[in-house]
Amino acid sequence: MTIKYSSLDWKLILAAVLLTLIGIVLIMSAQHNASTEYQQNYYQRQMIWFAIAFFIFAVIVHVPPKLFDLLAYVIYGVSIILLILVLFVGTAKMGAYGWFSFGPINFAPSDLAKIAVLFALSRFLAYTKLPVTSKRRMALTSLLVAVPVMLILKQPDLGTSLVFLVILFVLWFWSGLSPFYLLLIISPILSLVTASHWLSWSIYFVLLLIFLFSVRPGLLFGIVTVITNLAFGSVMPFLWNRLAEYQKLRILTFLDPGRDPRGAGYQIIQSKIAIGSGGIFGKGLLHGSQTRLDFLPEPHTDFIFSVLGEEFGLLGALILLFLFGVIFYRAVRIAVHCRSKFSSLLVMGAAGIIMFQFLINIGMTLGFMPVTGLPLPFVSYGGTSLVLFWSLIGFMVAAEARWQEY
Amino acid sequence: MAQFKLSIDKREKLSYIFLVFLFIILLIGLFRLQIIEHTDLAKQSENNRIRVESIIPRRGIVTDRNGQIIIDNRPSYTVSVVPVEIVKGKTIENLSELIALDTAQIRKRIRRNMVSRYQPTPVKRDIPFEIVAILEEQYKKFPGVVYQMERVRQYNRQLGAETFTGYVGEVSENELKKISDEDVHLGSIIGKKGIEKKYDHILRGREGTKYIEITASGQLVGEYADKSKIPAEPGGNLTLSIDNDLQIACTQVFDTFCCGAIVAMDPRNGEILAMTSYPGYDANIFSSVIPESLWNEIRDDSTHPLLNRPLKGKYPPGSTVKFVGIGAGLEEGVISENSKFKPCLGGYQFGNRFFRCWKASGHGSLNAAHTLEQSCDVYMYQLGLKLGIDKLSEYYRGCGFGIKTGVDLPQEASGLNPDTKYYDKRYGKRKWTLGLVLNNSIGQGELLVTPLQLAQFFCGLANDGVVYRPHIVKKIQYFDKKEIIIKPKISFTFPFSQNTLRILQEGLKLVVEGKHGTAKRLKNEFYSIGGKTGTAENPHGDNHSWFAGVAPLDNPEIVVVAIIENAGHGSEVAAPLVGQIIKSYMTKKMEIKTVSDSLGIDSTGETE
Repeated sequence: MTIKYSSLDWKLILAAVLLTLIGIVLIMSAQHNASTEYQQNYYQRQMIWFAIAFFIFAVIVHVPPKLFDLLAYVIYGVSIILLILVLFVGTAKMGAYGWFSFGPINFAPSDLAKIAVLFALSRFLAYTKLPVTSKRRMALTSLLVAVPVMLILKQPDLGTSLVFLVILFVLWFWSGLSPFYLLLIISPILSLVTASHWLSWSIYFVLLLIFLFSVRPGLLFGIVTVITNLAFGSVMPFLWNRLAEYQKLRILTFLDPGRDPRGAGYQIIQSKIAIGSGGIFGKGLLHGSQTRLDFLPEPHTDFIFSVLGEEFGLLGALILLFLFGVIFYRAVRIAVHCRSKFSSLLVMGAAGIIMFQFLINIGMTLGFMPVTGLPLPFVSYGGTSLVLFWSLIGFMVAAEARWQEY
Repeated sequence: MAQFKLSIDKREKLSYIFLVFLFIILLIGLFRLQIIEHTDLAKQSENNRIRVESIIPRRGIVTDRNGQIIIDNRPSYTVSVVPVEIVKGKTIENLSELIALDTAQIRKRIRRNMVSRYQPTPVKRDIPFEIVAILEEQYKKFPGVVYQMERVRQYNRQLGAETFTGYVGEVSENELKKISDEDVHLGSIIGKKGIEKKYDHILRGREGTKYIEITASGQLVGEYADKSKIPAEPGGNLTLSIDNDLQIACTQVFDTFCCGAIVAMDPRNGEILAMTSYPGYDANIFSSVIPESLWNEIRDDSTHPLLNRPLKGKYPPGSTVKFVGIGAGLEEGVISENSKFKPCLGGYQFGNRFFRCWKASGHGSLNAAHTLEQSCDVYMYQLGLKLGIDKLSEYYRGCGFGIKTGVDLPQEASGLNPDTKYYDKRYGKRKWTLGLVLNNSIGQGELLVTPLQLAQFFCGLANDGVVYRPHIVKKIQYFDKKEIIIKPKISFTFPFSQNTLRILQEGLKLVVEGKHGTAKRLKNEFYSIGGKTGTAENPHGDNHSWFAGVAPLDNPEIVVVAIIENAGHGSEVAAPLVGQIIKSYMTKKMEIKTVSDSLGIDSTGETE
């Protein structure tokens, strides 16, 4: 089965290539003054990873999506087994166990699990005859997500777990569920967050009731929503105590970055200083003092956007946002365009993963999202993450190249 | 439930709306940081990567007239904390353990001494090198703790010179209010007493500033290249008029006595050659943080080691000031060179009180010069009565008593020179008798002088009535080699005619050389000495022993005034001590002259 190169979505590929190249330059700059040669050569390793990722991307483009459709549940099963394995033989990194170490190469099975869950959900939602709002449909899809999430939370990694919820929500939405419905489904979480203070929770609850009254989702659904909201609001303190110290700290620091400027909030403050000090045109490559003098924690992974903001300013940031915009726009276009339901869902889910990590990561560096440890797609240093995102681009390009196929 | 199923068009549109919404949020975030808060954050990024550190200049060195060291510096380490880099529960706690200073005290010191949150704040000075080594090795354990090399003052203890050197210490908040120099800030070391205080602005130099790049973990990167450092200006060096050998000679004589003061001056220019206050203290202990127990011990010592006796000690001058009364009598025409009063029979009856002469057997009839030679009190009583209290006071004032000498040292006392106004105020109008005049005329009673004033007076006497302002700094040498040589300044002239001065100088000579001189034991074949003994009655205990010596008489170069507290007669205690000091001075001078002569060098240094 051959594909015509003219039928490939070159705009999408170019955007992803540029993002990856920007990433390599920023990694080089971030670790330019690092104390070890190993760190200084991060960018070289990222270049090798780019070659690997691009090769995998090229392979995926040539593989008919039908094959993934068929193998979806098998891949899902394998990734679950890996997630279980990593709990026993994995190594720790940044307080989270979730890595297989093969010499210098670290492999996070949670990245593979993202694709596996995406396959499984797309497959299920593409062929199910159950109506959009059916409880069985929701329960089964939730279960598909819950298993890996449970395993990842055990590592524990809050940020990655959230990615799976995003995949679920995006696919629910793309398979036809109204966003109002989604809002009601996540309402218990909002209840949980607002329950930190009685006043905020009361306001939230009144708004919820008004919303329910105007949307009228049905009596049973309404009652269940209200009860779960009440329950989540009241069990909050209990759940809070069950969170790991670092998670509590992250949430607290997110709510008030100034509370511990030398601890967790320090990262956010330093990142804001880096980006803000960059101004419109930035300080220039290798001239970011925040980056160079390691005031920025993890400048080559989590805070790569801060390096960009500092050294290339608003202009550089806008270019980066534009390239991501191209990817999202193309993804939606492809998802609408292609005839295969599985491919459409796959592309949308892939875009959802990229979008969520993009939002969380940049939001974190700008100071309005918690520090979750989610890398910036294509840009941050990290081999498996680069392979994952290029695979996702691969699915999109493949779907577009075979848009007529069902 | 139909509204929950969406068409593909609607879903597409909703996706775009969501994406636009998302990008707007991110753009707002970027705009806020990079445009609105840019100036602020750019400044913060500057502060973060550079630590501003003061470069403390080398404090000026103080030497004696021959270039011998009086005050020097020695290297030491100071532990400081950069407030902004303090890690809760780590920095102060670990530091407290290391330097054995409790956390509350460290916090207090940081609060008190902090200049800027980004600048190291000194916590403890003069720490041992072992502690520096620990800080160096385990810097991760002490985030925000830095140590700096600082120089600590070192005073030559052998000299017993603290009475004029003073000492340095951390500036207090009160002192800070009075100092307008922007260089002095909390935690700065400034001069607290003596020369250190008076010449602080010269000795201190100018602080420099350097910018140091540091990582977030506090590791030094190096000096920050973009911002040029402002170099420190080392303090100026001072050359004093002090002669260390003479100073040591003055200090050594106290080995057998409790307390007292000695001032040696050159009458030709007012230079202070030696000055000692006994007992002294070790000025070195103030250089680092002085323990409270030690401070209390010094402060509460009954011998008052902190009292600067030459400048602040107020003593009745006793017979040493009899020159003033006789000079006044001659000037006022009350007496003439050879006129005599009623003979001294060991005392003088005034009203219902008998005023004794120190010699119970009496002096008989004496002229002015011999009155000085034998220090007859009865002559002085009669002279005093004729002059009256205010005339006497006027002449005391004319000879510099009751007025500050204006020496270039801080905290000088003016002494006390009572007159009618003073007595009226003290006792009430007409509530005091003329008996007080009798006391005043022999240097007793309310009349109080400082040893420096008395030395100044004898300088005037030796220098034909011309008094040079006492001074201790001869030369200031700034770091750029610019020099200022302090020129002698005439302070005032005695209200005595040449004839009067001749008579007084005759008396001065007779005290040592006369047959009945009270200090005739000082007479020697090598050089002529003049002087005056004094025994000051002390209501609190034994008499203070005074002696003022002048040598060599034909061309006086040195005046030595000594007071030994509670030691008895001037002729018995102070006179031999002064003799000893003058001897050491003259011996050294003659040795130099001998050597110079044998080498064919003119000892005065003035060829042609």
